[in-house]
Amino acid sequence: MSVAMSLHQRRKRKNGVMMALCVIAAGIGLAWLALILGALIYKGLSGVSLAVLTEMTPPPGDAGGLLNAIYGSIVMTIIGIVVGTPIGVLAGTYMAEYGRFSRLTTVVRFINDILLSAPSIIVGLFVYELLVRPMGHFSAIAGAVALSILVIPVVVRTTEDMLNLVPNALREAGTAIGAPRWVVIRSVAYRAALSGIVTGILLAIARISGETAPLLFTALNNQFWSSNLNAPMASLPVTIFQFALSPYEEWQQLAWTGALIITLTVLGLSIFARSLTGRREDR
Amino acid sequence: MKPMLSTDLNAADTTVEKAKIEVKGLNFYYGQSKALKDINLSLPERSVTAFIGPSGCGKSTLLRVLNRIYELYPKQTAEGQVLLDGKNILDRSQDLNLLRTKIGMVFQKPTPFPMSIYENIAFGVRLYEKISKAEMDNRVESALKRAALWNEVKDKLNASGQSLSGGQQQRLCIARTVAVKPEVILLDEPASALDPLSTAKIEELIDELQADYTIVIVTHNMQQAARVSRQTAFMYLGELVEFDRTEKIFTSPREKRTQDYITGRFG
Amino acid sequence: MSAVSEAVTSSAMRTREATVRRFALTDTIFRTATRLSAILVLVLLGGVAISLFAGSWEALSKFGFSFLTTESWNPVTENFGALAPIYGTIVTSAIAILIAVPIGIGIAVFLTELCPRPLRRPIGIAVELLAGIPSIIYGIWGLFVFAPFLQTKVQPFIINIFHGIPGLSSLFAGPPYGIGLLTSSLILAIMVLPFITSITKDVFDTVPAVLKESAYGIGCTTWEVTRRVTIPYTRVGIMGGVMLGLGRALGETMAVTFVIGNAHRISASLFAPGTTISATIANEFTEADGELYTSSLVALGLILFVITFIILAIARYMLLRIDSRTGA
Repeated sequence: MSVAMSLHQRRKRKNGVMMALCVIAAGIGLAWLALILGALIYKGLSGVSLAVLTEMTPPPGDAGGLLNAIYGSIVMTIIGIVVGTPIGVLAGTYMAEYGRFSRLTTVVRFINDILLSAPSIIVGLFVYELLVRPMGHFSAIAGAVALSILVIPVVVRTTEDMLNLVPNALREAGTAIGAPRWVVIRSVAYRAALSGIVTGILLAIARISGETAPLLFTALNNQFWSSNLNAPMASLPVTIFQFALSPYEEWQQLAWTGALIITLTVLGLSIFARSLTGRREDR
Repeated sequence: MKPMLSTDLNAADTTVEKAKIEVKGLNFYYGQSKALKDINLSLPERSVTAFIGPSGCGKSTLLRVLNRIYELYPKQTAEGQVLLDGKNILDRSQDLNLLRTKIGMVFQKPTPFPMSIYENIAFGVRLYEKISKAEMDNRVESALKRAALWNEVKDKLNASGQSLSGGQQQRLCIARTVAVKPEVILLDEPASALDPLSTAKIEELIDELQADYTIVIVTHNMQQAARVSRQTAFMYLGELVEFDRTEKIFTSPREKRTQDYITGRFG
Repeated sequence: MSAVSEAVTSSAMRTREATVRRFALTDTIFRTATRLSAILVLVLLGGVAISLFAGSWEALSKFGFSFLTTESWNPVTENFGALAPIYGTIVTSAIAILIAVPIGIGIAVFLTELCPRPLRRPIGIAVELLAGIPSIIYGIWGLFVFAPFLQTKVQPFIINIFHGIPGLSSLFAGPPYGIGLLTSSLILAIMVLPFITSITKDVFDTVPAVLKESAYGIGCTTWEVTRRVTIPYTRVGIMGGVMLGLGRALGETMAVTFVIGNAHRISASLFAPGTTISATIANEFTEADGELYTSSLVALGLILFVITFIILAIARYMLLRIDSRTGA
């Protein structure tokens, strides 16, 4: 009896210890998030001023802003999304609709999942070989293409997943009324999956707006204002990279402020995107 | 045996009716497995025919052959003939979309499209007809009236179709089907997901619609078949066991298997 | 009056047939467009492989197999070997996974078994937000906040503890730079944590409730159910998640570039600066002069591509097995 009790107590104690460790693990996860966000706000907020949004990146040792970098990021992100989204949505549509049962879909899904997690610097190298080397110079276009290659797998994945959630009965109903497949897809399936597909696009924006590695040797950087897509263009992440590793205090401060801007944008986008699908699940 | 079935039916009928759909020697396969075995039957125009039988007997499969909706999925094949007004719809040259405008279908679960009540109905009409806004308004109104839904939704035509109750959604689906002016309406267990009150409404509706349409209904509810249909086909394991006037099937079936099923000995 | 007769006037029928033809054409165009887009995904991956291979041809043909086994990386003498970056990549990723796996599984257990229901979603999202933070942010935080903290508070302490203990003393040998292999590993661990957590949590949710209930029914504690039922049942899925995390860690660039120290050498000490494949490319690519230098960097990219492709393919294969079992 007493042996049984002590065994029982030992098991209970072990359970207590393990569960406490799990709580600590969760605490560690949350603590890191808090530490990083805390440091960003502490170091970044002090540099926030109107000048950040109105002035160009300064030469070393001078004060200035991030206007050209922010502009470049926005331009390249928009082009990346505009190029990548239609391709991603169409490919996802093939996988969930026309080619749902085809072998091609199985292969594309596998390859797409690999592209989804492939190192982004590899994409940078690819676009360097594909565009920069033949053109002979770095350009905003090359940067945007690199970003669009990162957009495609994200959008393909969410589009396919969301279209697969649309009940088949709805497709059958559309078909039964005499609508051809493309009308069923456009007017019924897309509509039913809309919030999910938009979520995917928002997550793709969130992902590429913070990407640095694929821009390093495609769009490069530019200390000045440039709206020429055929020339190097500054971007927020690359500017942060350059400024943070510099010995100049003004640059480092701008890097922190830029980091704060990017993080808030990206986290805001992902929270908004999640809230879109969250509502959907509740319904 | 098969010819006998149809002569029997004709003999039972006092008025000789024109067959709207004739199924001849139909076999159906899911991949390798045979789901329908040599089905022969003819569905008279402007009347209600019920397909009954235990689950998996092929009644829904047979219904899904009639508008070739099965072609959405791979590895499903039909062989034999299905004649609509004498023309074989299983023919390769048959345009599927055109076929489906002639043969409408309502499903087990209500399937309102993710759009407004008005658009749910206008959507199908707009596909093949160019009509003015006023004409469209009329079409929507008459379809909703036909489905006995007009009074409940006339003040909220712009509300989402998905905001309606289950029974209303199903009547919206019937209205949507009627609006494109089909000749045949296929109903796949249209009331199985509904409460008794909504079911009664749907059955009433079916009764009214048979004045204008040839109606085929699949149901696992024998009372429902008895209430709404003029002729009933009993299917079992992919075979058409017996096809006759509904009263005959339910009062003095020829086959023992039919007898067993309607008295609840299996199923 | 009947609906049938008014529908089928012959002119109406003719417009219908014209419409049908138009629909069929549009459908063909749309179908082709979607199919081509799907094929483009394959072409992209193929293009990446081909371009990396072509770009690295010069280096590979010059150095051959010895490229993989040479530690020296000398732009001046144009003698390049990939051993140091490969070593750094593998060591930092392996340590990151060793740290992240227990914590990730712990968080997943916490979320599925312990967490009060209303907190489950917010905490889950908070952990996933860690994955949303751009890697350059980890880099700048690691360089300016984390590394100085390690340098002044942690590393001297550890160096003192292990001083004189054979093996460990060389593994944790000074001086404390702050930046280096271990710092990179820690940052990587934080970065892959959300991937491991969210996949582990997802596969935990696939365990049938009856299975867990019957274990509780015979008097098992929560830990015993987790250890004896949940984890064995989801082993393949967890491995998939771990491999996916590993794939991320191997290819992670910016965060590592900030804190690894960029030294092309292999040191026994984890506190020593080193380099990884991606950090080398990020640091040197734009400054590389000479075809051979550039080509060597692309060759590094090719090696990284091959390694991550294999790891990610294994990960996806394992996750597919879990999916097909649950019918998801």
